Amino acid sequence: MKEIEIVVLVLGLMGFLFSLLLAFLSKKLKVEEDSRVEKIIGILPGINCGACGFSGCAAFAQAVVKNSKIFSGCLPGGPQVNKEIGALIGVSEVANVQNKALICHCGACDKEKLTSTLYQGPLTCAAAHISGGALDCSWGCLGLGDCAMACPTGALVVKERKVYIDYAKCINCGKCLRECPRNLFELIPVEKNKPIYYVACNSKEKAPVVKKACSKGCIGCGICVKLPGSPFYLSENISYIAYQKIPSPEIMEDARNRCPTECIIKVDSPFRKSES
Amino acid sequence: MEKLILIFISTVLINNFVLSYFLGICPFLGVSGKIESALGMGMAVTFVMSLATGISYLIYEYILLPWNLMILQYVVFILVIASLVQVVEMFIKKYSNSLYQSLGIYLPLITTNCAILGSALFMVTRKYGFLESVVFGFSGGVGFSLVLIIMAGIRQELEDADIPSVFKGAPLTLIVAGLLALIFMGFSGLISS
Repeated sequence: MKEIEIVVLVLGLMGFLFSLLLAFLSKKLKVEEDSRVEKIIGILPGINCGACGFSGCAAFAQAVVKNSKIFSGCLPGGPQVNKEIGALIGVSEVANVQNKALICHCGACDKEKLTSTLYQGPLTCAAAHISGGALDCSWGCLGLGDCAMACPTGALVVKERKVYIDYAKCINCGKCLRECPRNLFELIPVEKNKPIYYVACNSKEKAPVVKKACSKGCIGCGICVKLPGSPFYLSENISYIAYQKIPSPEIMEDARNRCPTECIIKVDSPFRKSES
Repeated sequence: MEKLILIFISTVLINNFVLSYFLGICPFLGVSGKIESALGMGMAVTFVMSLATGISYLIYEYILLPWNLMILQYVVFILVIASLVQVVEMFIKKYSNSLYQSLGIYLPLITTNCAILGSALFMVTRKYGFLESVVFGFSGGVGFSLVLIIMAGIRQELEDADIPSVFKGAPLTLIVAGLLALIFMGFSGLISS
């Protein structure tokens, strides 16, 4: 026999023997895992974004099996995934799971909000928020893009110090909610094929202060609140929408047109491509 | 018997795999965060090392040498180590899931732990017999565990210490590793031949 033949034979035999041993042991030492874990991992989006608070989809699946209360923890998956997981582990209140859409409570761009000081600190919102120097309004978007940095899918773009949300890319993971030092982001409930409305201002100052700092801020005038059947309400000099009331589109459109500072924003289709 | 004791002491203290040959640095720095996981890792490495060295000796002596296949020793040793690691992994997963979780990625990485391949290769170059090889592998593992546990203890204490922020984390760990290596050099005069 040539040397190469011996080499192939010896190595092949050895590998075969070891693999036999391993196959035998893996049968013998098999750990019974909950079969639902595998199934839930299959349902989950598998992007390991960590929005649920666990280190990845697999960790979340294991946690769900142990504690069924957190079945709706997967934000990017949305109601479809949550319903499937709920059905799999036998949770009854599955029907209440709603679609969500991301909004930003500041809709003013660079020209509209005033900056009277020069900010030269680190170019992150977190740092600028502490000094407050980057913007006259102490509630609005600093526009330095911490949210865009945190966004795992690149759905957030900051242009002229205003956040633009690409709804085709947004997975509702909620990382920007945690990142924004001024808490401008919110996930609001949406219904299929319906536009969403929101108040694009976060300033809880009285009207004169708001007007000085920004031309697009909510001044708390209450015009939208006074409309008949309006879902709007005033609190701390700012208008909010009670999303649990489902208003007719006409009222919302009316309110939007009447807003003197045009800070009620309409988004026609805040859906991912797969959902719309 | 005397030779076995000598091998044991010299491998654990004097020619420690981690601190004097600088083999197996990756788990040494990676798993030395907590004493429990260091202990588990040390036990796993000790087990794999003693078995791997023993089996490697048998294969080397009775297959590779008679067939004149010394060129295959690296491949064969890696094969033995990889299979053993698989076995150990299955055992740990079966009998201690918490240890399995805390070892994490470092458990399959024992496969490429150079200290284990090192012990198999040293066994060949030093022309040890079977018993000597097993004792050599075992004491190599014991030495590895000893250093790992010492390191984990120091690092746990350092967690609470007031450290300048430049040194926090990896830099200080490397400095501590260097100091430990210096300390272990002190053992070098322990056995005079």
